[in-house]
Amino acid sequence: MRFQDIIMALDRFWADRGCTIVPPHDTEVGAGTFYPTTFFGALGEKPWRVAGIAPSRRPADGRYGDNPYRFQYFYQYQVVIKPSPVDIQETYLQSLYHLGIDPGAHDIRFVEDNWESPTLGAWGLGWEVWMDGMEITQFTYFQQVAGIDCRPVSVELTYGLERLAMYLQGAKHAFDVEVSEGVTMGDLRRDFERQHCTYNFDQADTDLQRLLFDKFEAEATRLLALELVHPAYEFALRCSHAFNLLDARGVLSHTERQGYVQRVRRMTEAAAAAYLAGSAADAAQAA
Amino acid sequence: MATLLFEIGTEELPSWFVQQGSDALADLLVTRLAGASVEHGALRSYATPRRLAIVVEDVAERSLRRQVTRRGPPESAAFDASGAPTRAALGFARSSGVDPTDLVVDDLGKGRYVYATVEVGGEPTVTLLSALLAGVVQDLPAPRKMRWAEVETLFVRPIAWLVALLDDVVVPVEVAGVHAGRATRGHRFLHAGAIELPHADAYEGALRGASVIADRAERRAAVVEAARGVAAGEGLELVSDAELEDEVCDLLETPVAVLGAFGERFLDLPDDVLGTVMIHHQRFFPTRGADGRLAPRFVALSNNRVPDGGVVRRGYEQVLRGRLDDARFFWDADRSESLSRHAWGLSGIAFQKELGSMGDKVARISTSARQLADVLGVSEDEAATLKAALRVFRADLSTKMVHELPELEGTMGRAYALAEGQPSEVAVALEDGVLPRAHGGRLPSTRVGAILSVADRLDTLVGFFAIGRRPSGSADPYGLRRAGVGAVRTVAAQGWRVPFRKLIDAAASGFDGSVDVADDVLSDVEAFAWDRVSALLAEERVPTPVIRAAVHGSRSVIGAARRAHLLRALMTRDGWVDLMTLYKRAANLGRQAPDGASVRSALFRDAAEAPLFEALPDARRGVERLMAGVRKQLVPWDLGKAPNRELGGLDEAVAEVLRLKAPLDAFLDSVHVMVDAEEVRVNRLALLAAVANVLRDLGALEHLEAGEA
Repeated sequence: MRFQDIIMALDRFWADRGCTIVPPHDTEVGAGTFYPTTFFGALGEKPWRVAGIAPSRRPADGRYGDNPYRFQYFYQYQVVIKPSPVDIQETYLQSLYHLGIDPGAHDIRFVEDNWESPTLGAWGLGWEVWMDGMEITQFTYFQQVAGIDCRPVSVELTYGLERLAMYLQGAKHAFDVEVSEGVTMGDLRRDFERQHCTYNFDQADTDLQRLLFDKFEAEATRLLALELVHPAYEFALRCSHAFNLLDARGVLSHTERQGYVQRVRRMTEAAAAAYLAGSAADAAQAA
Repeated sequence: MATLLFEIGTEELPSWFVQQGSDALADLLVTRLAGASVEHGALRSYATPRRLAIVVEDVAERSLRRQVTRRGPPESAAFDASGAPTRAALGFARSSGVDPTDLVVDDLGKGRYVYATVEVGGEPTVTLLSALLAGVVQDLPAPRKMRWAEVETLFVRPIAWLVALLDDVVVPVEVAGVHAGRATRGHRFLHAGAIELPHADAYEGALRGASVIADRAERRAAVVEAARGVAAGEGLELVSDAELEDEVCDLLETPVAVLGAFGERFLDLPDDVLGTVMIHHQRFFPTRGADGRLAPRFVALSNNRVPDGGVVRRGYEQVLRGRLDDARFFWDADRSESLSRHAWGLSGIAFQKELGSMGDKVARISTSARQLADVLGVSEDEAATLKAALRVFRADLSTKMVHELPELEGTMGRAYALAEGQPSEVAVALEDGVLPRAHGGRLPSTRVGAILSVADRLDTLVGFFAIGRRPSGSADPYGLRRAGVGAVRTVAAQGWRVPFRKLIDAAASGFDGSVDVADDVLSDVEAFAWDRVSALLAEERVPTPVIRAAVHGSRSVIGAARRAHLLRALMTRDGWVDLMTLYKRAANLGRQAPDGASVRSALFRDAAEAPLFEALPDARRGVERLMAGVRKQLVPWDLGKAPNRELGGLDEAVAEVLRLKAPLDAFLDSVHVMVDAEEVRVNRLALLAAVANVLRDLGALEHLEAGEA
């Protein structure tokens, strides 16, 4: 199965199970969990079902394309459902079957893995799913987001698309994965990856990123005062990316790191609180 | 009599919880059945990643009938002036189901009240079990529970199904929106659909038929046997470890062993690196060939019997190859620079804001470890090894391998030191210096390594205490308790008899003004470290008064540990507790003797004085023999464990000491110490002081009270 067929198959599968397929968000994020559709979707009581491909960036994880598994830019496939369905594990296994992976022909395991994001004030319990020893999916029941208890609880599935595709195609390197006929992932991303690694590790102007962080933070704070929750949250995401770049450049001391993490967290928590206050006001108006 | 089956079916539990949860379930169920007065027979526990289950035999059909006494209104309110029962008394009798004439008045220490004797119990067990079993699920103790969906109940992972059967009858239980029934489930992939159980007895067999080995001990044995089997088929020996066997066992319901291979080119990686990648990252068993060296083969345990085992094996191999490629890359890259070059990188790794970088810490240890070595006295060779090790101590922290595989810290220090041709003593000391890694973990095997380890841990304690970051309550964000435990275990195992305080003073010498270390900080560190000694002794079930006597009566850690075990043994001897009571009186009085006062037999006036005085030499010899015996028998050991042997053969020495009891008892009984004649009074006080002195070598015995140990 080619890479684009995997994405389309997952879209079809989850759409058939009541999920809205949302296109990728256009602000840099470290993982699909940062997507507004995940972050805000997990808050509050309103039922929520979304799925879709979630390109993500983690500057420090880049290896100039040399390592077959590690990249600073990669694709996740993200599913968020609230409340978590009782048969979600079975449904997930069916989605693998849908991709041509017969769980009866493999050794599939749900191995404890608990997840935490200090910048989002979020944590959850769940598993990493192993197929024949390889981690292919992260499976999390959110317990808190932005420091707020999740009631009801959302479940988040994050498929590692490159790994799944490598497995299905027997490829040794993510860049060998065939995306469409005659076009490989390397064709699309090799130069992109190498140049961004050079930028992330060697060239990123750290003074600029520090300045941007401060400015973005001020903007997020200003927008929150105007109850412009969504723009404010996007500026928090931009701060998060600036922080990730500074981290990749290795210029942050341990204490400084903690400081930046706390500052992002304050923004995301404020955005979550404002979002919930807004939804409560909407609900009151509707009533 | 009936058989109860209760099964909690879950989404996959964390592997570490399977056994723990199974034990907790059995404990809680037994407690609750006792609380409900339901008698029962033997229990059998079952536990897999997807279920915790228990079968209880010979469960009584009804709870035990028993009489209980209910308290009603006070007597004054229960009867009117004529002695007839009041409305309150009549109401109480009615609600208790007894005739008003059967009410009795009693004073049970709470004043005079009316009491009724009522019969309770006899309820059908099946009725009681509904709430009881639901409560067991809700209250099952676990370190971390979660919510799911819209359920209010917290559990370790979502509850998928419940089975509750009393013989062939379903017990109605409802928890977390799940209703118990008779349907269990088999293996996730090897058995589709539910399994209806006709009877509680059918549980284990039905699961076996559905590819689940529910009995954990049996499944664990099957894991090991299957793994050994496929290894032996190729003439290989399994490299096993109990922790790995436990984890593998609790990640599957049916074990299928798979033998896989990796490239021979990886075999020049250190064994510890190969082992860590296989064991910690993939839960694979490494193997050894007939030559005793690691073979390029591993055994993985699959949880599935598949049509084509090659698919699964190739998957395992591909993942392992990726990880070993990474490790090989780190190994080559790290060795392109010397360890002393890596040591420079330590200044870029933060230790703690006010205490500087790891480079600063190692610089402090360079001073304090040498100071420690001076205090302890080391050979020239050891001093040279220490000096060489200190140049690159913890340098491996800044290597790529340790960055990726942090559990290899120390191990890589050793491996890289050997690879660059350093003497093996230096290499071993580098690894020893980071030990113990965890609670109960391996201790340094060499003296130089122990000096590094203790200097490092005490540096952490002194530093954090000096800047006011001490553990409070159960919170210990900097792992200071763990550091303290590691230090005292190592100090004891090394048998260092230097006063503990001297070691702490030596450790503080590294700070040299960079952080203000006041004297009271060092006293606090010492007290904190002694508390760790006490806690370790308490884990060995040494009674608290004995621990106090041992710790307050010793200056070295090993001395305290030996005294604790000696005193614990002595407290069980006939007459010893009495002697301790007498000791306390003697010591209290003897404390009033003026300094330097000696006993003169010419001043004896009472018949009980001379016999006590004459009993002292024997007692002194007895105490000396006890101390010598315990030193000989209890060779220095890891305080995290029991001593290497039980104390024995001390009967004669104990008898010698105990012979002091009769004359001391007679003296305290008949002699009036505080007489007016000063010379006689001082002489008597001095005699008691001498008695206390003889015994005090055994510990601070005033902590040993009758009835407490």
